[in-house]
Amino acid sequence: MEREIAENAADMTAIGANVPAEFDAATEAEPVLTKQAPANRPKKRRIDIEEIYGTLFAAIPLIGFCIFGLVPLILAFAMAFLDMGTGWDIAEAEWAGFDNFVYLFSTASDEVGISIFEAIGNTLILGISTFISQILALGIAYLLSRDIKGRGIWRIIYFIPYVCSVVAITIMWRYMFNPSYGIINQFLGNTDITNGAIDWTDDPAMFYVTINIISIWSGMGYGILLYTAALTNVNQSAIEAAEIDGAGAFTKFFRIVLPSISPTTFYLLIMGVIGMLQSFTITNVFDSSGGPDKHGITIVFFMYQYLYDWQNVGVASAASWVLAALILIVTLIQFIGSRRWVKYD
Amino acid sequence: MTDRTEMPVAEESLPGERQTPPAAPVKERAPKMRSGKTMNTVTKTVIYAILALYALVIIFPFLIVIITSFKTWQDAVSSEFSWVPPMGFTLEGYQEVFTYKASSDSTLPSLVNGFINTLLYVLPPTILGLLTSSISAYAFSKLRFRSKKWMYSLLLGTMMIPGTIMIVPQYVIYDSIGWINTPLPLMIPGMFGAAACVFFMRQFYSGIPDSLIEASKLDGLGYFGIFFRIMVPLAVPALLAQGLLGFIGGYNDYLGPLLYLHEDRLHTLQVALNNIADTYERRSNVVMAASIVALVPMLTVYFFTQRYFISGIVSSGLKD
Repeated sequence: MEREIAENAADMTAIGANVPAEFDAATEAEPVLTKQAPANRPKKRRIDIEEIYGTLFAAIPLIGFCIFGLVPLILAFAMAFLDMGTGWDIAEAEWAGFDNFVYLFSTASDEVGISIFEAIGNTLILGISTFISQILALGIAYLLSRDIKGRGIWRIIYFIPYVCSVVAITIMWRYMFNPSYGIINQFLGNTDITNGAIDWTDDPAMFYVTINIISIWSGMGYGILLYTAALTNVNQSAIEAAEIDGAGAFTKFFRIVLPSISPTTFYLLIMGVIGMLQSFTITNVFDSSGGPDKHGITIVFFMYQYLYDWQNVGVASAASWVLAALILIVTLIQFIGSRRWVKYD
Repeated sequence: MTDRTEMPVAEESLPGERQTPPAAPVKERAPKMRSGKTMNTVTKTVIYAILALYALVIIFPFLIVIITSFKTWQDAVSSEFSWVPPMGFTLEGYQEVFTYKASSDSTLPSLVNGFINTLLYVLPPTILGLLTSSISAYAFSKLRFRSKKWMYSLLLGTMMIPGTIMIVPQYVIYDSIGWINTPLPLMIPGMFGAAACVFFMRQFYSGIPDSLIEASKLDGLGYFGIFFRIMVPLAVPALLAQGLLGFIGGYNDYLGPLLYLHEDRLHTLQVALNNIADTYERRSNVVMAASIVALVPMLTVYFFTQRYFISGIVSSGLKD
């Protein structure tokens, strides 16, 4: 028996080893499983115990979600209609109707210094990097998928920024972007702001550019990784067929490669946009007061200031409503739009 | 690391030879995008040039920062960058980093204290969360129970909920139960496991043949026995990949510690680093030294375990 288990274990490694690396191996393995399952599994025996254990084991993360996710979620919606004065004590809450929303939408909020609409605008402008880095990542991944040497080494280098903390990266880049002693202005040959040097950190418009550059630099690795994996799976015979038909490099790329990696593009786009709408860390570390003209105040930054600095839970909750609605709408639009261009096999 | 094109798979292993599963290799098929003709030299040169240029863009900032961290502060903020600083190299920045204390009553330097705190806050939920996620994944992949389908859909659904929309009510709840200024909000929720991890581990466990499980059942192993004696040992590479991903997330987290921990002695590495950057605003050599100190542990872990990292990310990102 011992031996048999060991034997199976050895078989297992052949299958198992592939699973994490080869993302399609799991799907290949699943039909095998369903074929075997009815044959090997006694149908009625121990069904009750299995039922209990199965439900219990499976429920652990769901219990966690109910306590730390569902309860706050419900509360989040309730609290937007409460006035809790200053502070976080829910016992002091009073019904406020739509006051928080009226306040949120009507004023260029005195506390934070900008309105929620400006915060949304900042978030979107600072989030342009999401799309740029995705396109660049595809480009690099496409080059990596060609017949080149040292693919592993390139990929290790390109992935470095992803494992670095955003805090450290932001601090590093803030130093390099310093207008008077940063390496970037030295490279551009002008470190005198009074004399036309680019003010990367304090000029409101350039601030957007600076933050976007940092985001692109730190965010590309993930896209490169997923795109490289997707590109190795592109159907080779389709490309060869196109070649025989006389298709050029561009036709091949846009007509065959791009459609066949569209699920990856879609995944990266969805996750990227959801992440982008929740951005906070880079601008908060770069300038905790919000940057020039408050251009660094994103939606989450806005919420954070109301929640923590101004201790106005009602308005902060109303702002989370806005964020949730925005994410929902954008995700829905992407899902609906995806029917036109995402091709699953 | 070289190409893993010829990574051996355990297929040829002799029966009876107990093998530890090979570390989830990033298996790469032979380059596929290659066209029928081999690329000409010009194309190849251009490709290598672009790849090298981009690698330089990644590495160059780190070089600048490392050099700066060994400069005097005057050289560090000089408007003429020098690879060899006029005032010479110095460890001043690092000395400052390892002596700076946020308040007089703290015993450890703030960055060291932050590092220890980070490990204390991140490791327990990472390890325990890995265990709960994978036991749940085991149930979803190998056990039969009636509510399986909707429970799994529900779990996947929770992944779609953006975390930041809950920070306001979570803060209020944690405040009312006295968890603010304790690491508990950063630790306890993670211990119940993460949906993404369950999802990934379920994929892995589905690949384990049922015959193996049936055999161990006949051997008298119960559900826990099967999980700990069969499933977990086989899943070590996958667990490592997920554990590393969880760890990096916790180690680099900023918003959570910033919200919940307001005392210097409780700060995590990232928050401590940001405080140092604010305190030493003009002394860039100290700030850069602090960044390097904060980055080195994670980069070390990355270089030694990058294949787990990469496989973990690729498979959790692509399998939908």
